[in-house]
Amino acid sequence: MNSEVVLEVKNLKTHFISNKGTAKAVDGVDFVLKKGETLGIVGESGCGKSMTSLSILRLIPSPPGKIVDGQVLLNGKDLVTMSDEELRKIRGNRISMIFQEPMTSLNPVIPVGEQIAEALRLHQGLSKKQAWDKSVEMIGLVGIPSPEKRAKQEPFQLSGGMRQRIMIAMALACTPEVLIADEPTTALDVTIQAQILEIMKDLQRKIGMGIIFITHDLGVVAEMCDQVGVMYAGQIVEHRSAQDLFKNPLHPYTQGLIGSLPKLYEDQDELQTIEGTVPSPYDYPEGCRFAERCPFSTDICVQKQPILVQYDEDTKVRCWKYTDEWQNSLTRGVVIP
Amino acid sequence: MFLFMIKRLVQIVPVILGVTLVVFLIMQMVPGDSAVILAGEGASKETVEQLREDLGLNKPLYEQYFSYISNVVQGDLGNSLKNNQPVLDEILIRLPVTMELAFFSILITIVLGLIAGIISAVRPYSFSDIGVMVVALLGISLPSFWLGLLLMYVFSVKLQWLPVAGWDSLAHVILPAITLGAGGAAIVARMTRSSMLEVVGQDYIRTAKAKGLKEHVIIYKHALRNALIPVITVVGLQFGSLLGGTVLVESVFAINGLGRMIVDAIRTRDIPMVQGGVLVASLVFVFVNLLVDTMYKVFNKRIDLN
Repeated sequence: MNSEVVLEVKNLKTHFISNKGTAKAVDGVDFVLKKGETLGIVGESGCGKSMTSLSILRLIPSPPGKIVDGQVLLNGKDLVTMSDEELRKIRGNRISMIFQEPMTSLNPVIPVGEQIAEALRLHQGLSKKQAWDKSVEMIGLVGIPSPEKRAKQEPFQLSGGMRQRIMIAMALACTPEVLIADEPTTALDVTIQAQILEIMKDLQRKIGMGIIFITHDLGVVAEMCDQVGVMYAGQIVEHRSAQDLFKNPLHPYTQGLIGSLPKLYEDQDELQTIEGTVPSPYDYPEGCRFAERCPFSTDICVQKQPILVQYDEDTKVRCWKYTDEWQNSLTRGVVIP
Repeated sequence: MFLFMIKRLVQIVPVILGVTLVVFLIMQMVPGDSAVILAGEGASKETVEQLREDLGLNKPLYEQYFSYISNVVQGDLGNSLKNNQPVLDEILIRLPVTMELAFFSILITIVLGLIAGIISAVRPYSFSDIGVMVVALLGISLPSFWLGLLLMYVFSVKLQWLPVAGWDSLAHVILPAITLGAGGAAIVARMTRSSMLEVVGQDYIRTAKAKGLKEHVIIYKHALRNALIPVITVVGLQFGSLLGGTVLVESVFAINGLGRMIVDAIRTRDIPMVQGGVLVASLVFVFVNLLVDTMYKVFNKRIDLN
């Protein structure tokens, strides 16, 4: 696999400023996406994963949302500081996005073929006829039967699964370098979900784009992703290959997440849960944001925020447990009594 | 679509019957006897009685009503009590004038209303938005007869740019049409603004942005078409009050239209004239509503007209 970096997000901070205060929805997110690779971003609702994905293309509702710090580098060029016009040429062309809600993400009064074709005319300068033909071709490519007929229909005449396929066709029409998929299968039946994931993988092989896959479904992550970033309270707490993550989760939060999955071959009376709740984005604790819910929490966790440290070559983790300070405090703990 | 049209055309019959009945009964209830008014002041009792006999005003109400309806079905709206001329002839002279006035007024309502609404919605809470909305509020609050007099005073009397009254050239249309259309334009502007603001927050607008579309494409192609659906309803409703408004505006600007005809007829208790006028006005209104309903289908194929 080509290890060329396409998209790099550095210390991204997206805050929502209102009378209620400042909600730090995204608070220092870092990750790297390589060509042809799929990076999963997982975390529970409200952890900032959707806001991270929207921030990449500067699609957060503003006001009140604002990217206050950080960089989003597409082949080294910063999207955060570039002009609206420059960014517009990247949207839908070099970076595309699929949204969570296929039922509401398509314009209800425009034929779906036209909704795909307009991006082609805009970014690739195709004629009306060429764009339409390509649009029909794309609709066929995502596995919708009789694409010529479907292209002329409006979204209300299509099922949820078909609409999401249309969204995928739209996102991939201009062969982007990066595809951001924000929970693309959450609103769909499991059988349709599997089909959609298959289509995405298939097209990734053909086009070679990098995918950022936002989900809260660890099963889908295992199915789709090469790398995984686990998000908690606006930050990445663990970043490593999907295989290692499931085998040996490092961060206590990841351990909790994976531990809470129901297991098929074990007799469980009760599902494991993570005690406590996510801290409010208006008022994060000073120390580690997971400390309150963490079974390993010590003084240092409550006092000081951990940074994302390199654990091994392609693993980063944000936890005091994997730092020298932790080792020191432990040894001291043993010596003193 | 065809079936829908047929259905709606058939539905017009009971509506029109209802309208004639209500107008007929109201005219019976209003004080003042048309025979007395027609005979003039100081006429003898015998003369009035004779007149009543001639006009069939002493027959039972239901008989009067049924004979009226059967005549209407045959295209005879009766004769004016005042000059004995056929009501239909008078209406055919007056109707085009009122329709012309209504057409230009509704044009002002739509064009001005949409432009103002879009300007407001594109930059909400900006100075342009607040400015437009203050003007719109004024437009809704000003009574049309007062606005008409004001416009007349400024543009005709003081500046002498436009004719004061009458109905000869296109210049004569401008002030009455503005007077009549302003209130509607203000309502359409407010409706367009709120409808646009709602649409702009929808997921599909985010999709359009994510596609890299230009702002004007997002506004005019993706947002406006969806925002127009409730606006069409408002325009249809406005047309009703606009027809009512012609009564005032035609009086203010001395235009010999249908509205003024009805007012004059009411004053002289010219029952056939009033009934004929109201009948034609309601027919026009019913057809405009049919047009509006058909427009829904054009803008939103999801709406099943049947």
